[in-house]
Amino acid sequence: MDREDILKMLKSPANWGQKYSLWAVYFCTGCGVIEIPPVITSRWDAERFGVLPMATPRQGNLFLITGYVSLKTLGAIIRTYDQMPDPKYVVGFGSCPVNGGMYWDSYNTIKHLDKYLPVDGWIAGCMPRPEAIFVAVVHLWQMIDKGMATGYERYRENREYYETNQREVLPHLPKFASPEGSG
Amino acid sequence: MRELELYFGPQHVGMVGNFGIVLTVEGDTVVRARSNPGYLHRGFEKLMEYRTYMQNFPLVCRLNVMDPDPEEMVYAMAVEELAGLTVPPRAHYIRTIVLEMSRINSHLFWLWGFGNLLGFDTIGQWAMGDRDYFLDCFEMLCGGRVYHTYIWPGGVRRDLPDGFQDKLRAALDNLERMLPDYDEVFFNNRIFADRTRGIASFTREEAVSMGLTGANLRATGARVDVRREEPYAAYADLDFEVPTMDAGDSYSRAVVIRREIDQSISIIRQALEKMPAGPAWKKTPNPFKWRVRPGEAYAKIESARGEDGMYLVSDGSDKPRRAFVRGPSYPAAILMLEKLLEGASLSDVGHIMLSLNIAAPEVDR
Amino acid sequence: MSEEELKSAIERGVEAATATVQRPGRLLAAVPNAAAVTALILLKARGFEHLSAISCTDWIEEEQFELVYHLWSYQDRIHVMLKTRLPRANPWTVTAAPLFPHAQTYEREIHEMYGVHFDGNPRLTPFLLDHWRGPPPMRRDFNTRDHVRERFGIEERIP
Repeated sequence: MDREDILKMLKSPANWGQKYSLWAVYFCTGCGVIEIPPVITSRWDAERFGVLPMATPRQGNLFLITGYVSLKTLGAIIRTYDQMPDPKYVVGFGSCPVNGGMYWDSYNTIKHLDKYLPVDGWIAGCMPRPEAIFVAVVHLWQMIDKGMATGYERYRENREYYETNQREVLPHLPKFASPEGSG
Repeated sequence: MRELELYFGPQHVGMVGNFGIVLTVEGDTVVRARSNPGYLHRGFEKLMEYRTYMQNFPLVCRLNVMDPDPEEMVYAMAVEELAGLTVPPRAHYIRTIVLEMSRINSHLFWLWGFGNLLGFDTIGQWAMGDRDYFLDCFEMLCGGRVYHTYIWPGGVRRDLPDGFQDKLRAALDNLERMLPDYDEVFFNNRIFADRTRGIASFTREEAVSMGLTGANLRATGARVDVRREEPYAAYADLDFEVPTMDAGDSYSRAVVIRREIDQSISIIRQALEKMPAGPAWKKTPNPFKWRVRPGEAYAKIESARGEDGMYLVSDGSDKPRRAFVRGPSYPAAILMLEKLLEGASLSDVGHIMLSLNIAAPEVDR
Repeated sequence: MSEEELKSAIERGVEAATATVQRPGRLLAAVPNAAAVTALILLKARGFEHLSAISCTDWIEEEQFELVYHLWSYQDRIHVMLKTRLPRANPWTVTAAPLFPHAQTYEREIHEMYGVHFDGNPRLTPFLLDHWRGPPPMRRDFNTRDHVRERFGIEERIP
């Protein structure tokens, strides 16, 4: 660690702590899950980047949406995301969360993830390589340093927008209490 | 004792794939289990009706992410049967090699999940590492690690590149060298045997009546394998055994899968030796104008999980009329799983599901 | 038993059945829906113990659904595609679950995706679709692209 890093660390210990221990919630949402075990095991070893798979959303701060999101999975993703404590980051993995990908004309998958959840970054590809995940993690570090990875704040401020979109495709979604305690 | 309803999956550290099981437990015993599929449903069969025959070719591999090449193969075989295409001999051998590589990859991926669920973390790290060398071979062959878009109607997309055979042999040598360690750490381990012997067992008659195929059926003593019953690709010319066990329990299924890895390595080595020269594909009609004559075909092969079939109906237009996919995990994932989980201990739920080698994408499509 | 022998057996044993040997190992048999269960019993008794799948095709021009029972005999190594037609306006038939227990799941999916009713199936409940309020999606008159345009609004993002 050189002088630059020490200064950075002193300026913002919280950022330094968070970014170097991005614990990814273990949720195999779609096709993309096939590249997650290689990433978290010995050959690609995400732990050198501080990224570990985490069993529960309560202890995770990175949500990697790997692959396409069906309507049923979207309900589970929203529930999982709501359980994660702030600050939390969402990364869309693969081209399916970006614009529907290969299943753009499927009646059961969503086409744009950022209408329903605040997304901090995207990894394009079908299937992205493990190195692409590491590039994304490094980008996320830079965003955290600059204060740009504010998806969770956007979610809280624009709760109405996200909830309206969610209710549009999931009319049966129960009403959750808002963070401020009312409703 | 009070009954509790627990959700195993979709977000669960022990769930491999996006699948759910709703468990009703009383203490540590599962009283009732209900499968909760549908998290991965894309309407695949509907999408296939909206794409031309060639447009479907890059789509079909995505049916089962853990074992993509059998889906390409079964689609190619069905289209070849409908359209009357022949495949050159070299392509048969290349297809055999690719299918067996996919089988090894699927089994090693299974080993990661299965080992983790029984508490063996090391074997998963090794299996994923050794599997990655095969993914490197795939990348050299067709540009993609996971989705290959390689086996198409008429043969394979391109011939083997220079250096591929050496790279593949190196990956095979590495796996063969590591397999005794796998056995020492996992398959010959007393804890693995104690935890899986006698768990979730069923007889051959029960398996057939529930539609099970593949290793699940072979573990009950039935020596059945589509590669023997309806040889496709180059299997008729190659020498291999079909491993079986008798007890039909979780232990037997795991051992059958382990022995299949040995057989796959042997098949690939033989195919590399015996590969004839020649073209790797036969020219197909212009994909923009390709209309297949009306008819129907059922093509089936032995994927890592069992009988993988596709029923393709053509009505003379440029798009399939109906593409029905028979996933091998489909019968196992609903009725058989629910039946086996009744009365099981809560600690066995995950590994019972994985001992049936259930792949969620094949169930939901 | 060869394919030809099986063809004769079906045509003799099942009323108004026509069977064709498609190629070695593949037999197509078309029976009226009223005789479908007889045909299944005949085949199961002759060693066709493995039901691979039940599939459904929507022949909307002929206003019929076609159910195909895919059966395999391990002894004779023949795959039979037993086809029956149902009227599209009122697709109703009897379950095959007492003969092949896991037929229940295939019928459940066909019920969800096409709207065919299988009398006697104890579990015709929602299967893969979650809170689905549209028509059965595998029917040919359900256009998935129109549905996606309307529900997800893709056109607004794709130039």
